[in-house]
Amino acid sequence: MTQPREQNSLQILEIKDISVAYGTKTAVDGVSLQILRGEIFGLLGPNGAGKTSLLSTVEGLVKPIAGKVIVDGTDIRDNPALVKSKMGVQLQATSFHSQLSIKQLIKLYAGLYGVRMAPSEITAKLDEIGLVDAVSKPFKELSGGQQQRLSLLIATIHNPNLLLLDEPTTGLDPQSRRQLWGRIERIRKAGGSILLTTHSMEEAQTVCDRVAIIDHGKIVSCETPQNLIEKHKEDEKVKEVARGAVTLEDVFIGLTGGEIRD
Amino acid sequence: MTSTGESLVERNPNSRVMFRSLFEADLIALKGNRRSLILSIVLPLIILLTTSTHKAQQSLGGTLLIIGLAIIYGLMSTSMLGYALNVARDRDKGVFQRLRVTPAPTWMIMTSRLGVQVIANLIISLVVVIIGASIHHLTLTPGQYALVIAISIIGGAVFLSIGQALVGLLRSPDTVNAAGRVVFISLALLGIVGLNGALGSAVETASRWSPTGTIMTLFSGVLNLARWSSTDSLSLLACMIYILVFAGIGIRWFSWAAE
Repeated sequence: MTQPREQNSLQILEIKDISVAYGTKTAVDGVSLQILRGEIFGLLGPNGAGKTSLLSTVEGLVKPIAGKVIVDGTDIRDNPALVKSKMGVQLQATSFHSQLSIKQLIKLYAGLYGVRMAPSEITAKLDEIGLVDAVSKPFKELSGGQQQRLSLLIATIHNPNLLLLDEPTTGLDPQSRRQLWGRIERIRKAGGSILLTTHSMEEAQTVCDRVAIIDHGKIVSCETPQNLIEKHKEDEKVKEVARGAVTLEDVFIGLTGGEIRD
Repeated sequence: MTSTGESLVERNPNSRVMFRSLFEADLIALKGNRRSLILSIVLPLIILLTTSTHKAQQSLGGTLLIIGLAIIYGLMSTSMLGYALNVARDRDKGVFQRLRVTPAPTWMIMTSRLGVQVIANLIISLVVVIIGASIHHLTLTPGQYALVIAISIIGGAVFLSIGQALVGLLRSPDTVNAAGRVVFISLALLGIVGLNGALGSAVETASRWSPTGTIMTLFSGVLNLARWSSTDSLSLLACMIYILVFAGIGIRWFSWAAE
């Protein structure tokens, strides 16, 4: 049910008791989260913890078996098109039509969000991300960093209120990663809110205002990175894995265990 | 529509604008795949050229049936191999998932794809019927051309629905490709060998009511309207049933994600 917007004016995204299952396997188990306007929120978790399933539910790609997702006061089930128009999404593995050039891709996705872009505007946008010379190239011919920059440009083509990034820096070199962090920060300064998943504790600590650690489909802890460290630095398991001063990574491993997940 | 730089819209994006954007992109993709389109025309042209002798025409039931057969092979090739494989590959790469996170509804994404494929089918049918009429020295009236195109649309829909059923039931592009070839060869053989009765009356009957056989009957019927019979009407009904059944299977079990 849609909630009155006045009550949620501080929240851009509200996830209420979401459960996701694939057959008999429960991927997300009664998760509730709120993302505030102007906030960069990190979702951390080992492989298979439920990060992508939760994000996919917010994106409308996965139907939850219980719970609701409310974006800017609108339940995604009530008006999926409106909710999707308020979100920008960068998927973990993005692929676009292989026959389309970069310019044609931008035109396509602008049209899907109802944004009219003159050729000069497309050129200016591509210039901003250093891809103006690649305007006629297909997506697959770009390097990993270029693909990532274009994906982010397309995800933000309509100035979304909420940006969802699924492991946005995976496979990027340090320079590209720093550039991306800068872009994320600029999006926040322009009024956007960001929910991202990451395996990089450095990224979470540097970029995120708050982080939630998810494991076995449940939220284990949700705090600012600094508070998370303060709260758990005396835990036996955390102290066991720490090498010197306790870091976010130590807390993460302490809370989720040291075994390798596939 | 909004212009860039403004904050978000408070209403749904315009459906017409969304569909136009999708359709334009799919048309560009079709142009990018023009080699596949040309190859879908080559096979029918080979059939037309190799059957231009009087003997060949007689054994295959006449000129009009040969043109119908050629069109059918073109439609089968582009719908069951081209369309199904492209959809399976795009699904595997995540193209559909990327589109699904936009405000565009899934029916719109699929309608755009199918719409572009219908255009490809029309191009193939027109090229084959024009060249076929020229090679076989036939003079068709504008009405007959219109009827041939109408049957091409129905025939294309039958094979598109079979292609949709393939991508609905099978996930991997390699499996879709392999299964598409098997179905293609089976239906092609039914069309060439089955219909002439060489394999017995049971096979001939099965062939006549197969997707290939029913569409050939329709081509034959519309090119000789004076002899339109109840068999032609039943063939039309059979085509509609094929479309409903295969499209139903293809839509019911279609998965947008690779896994």
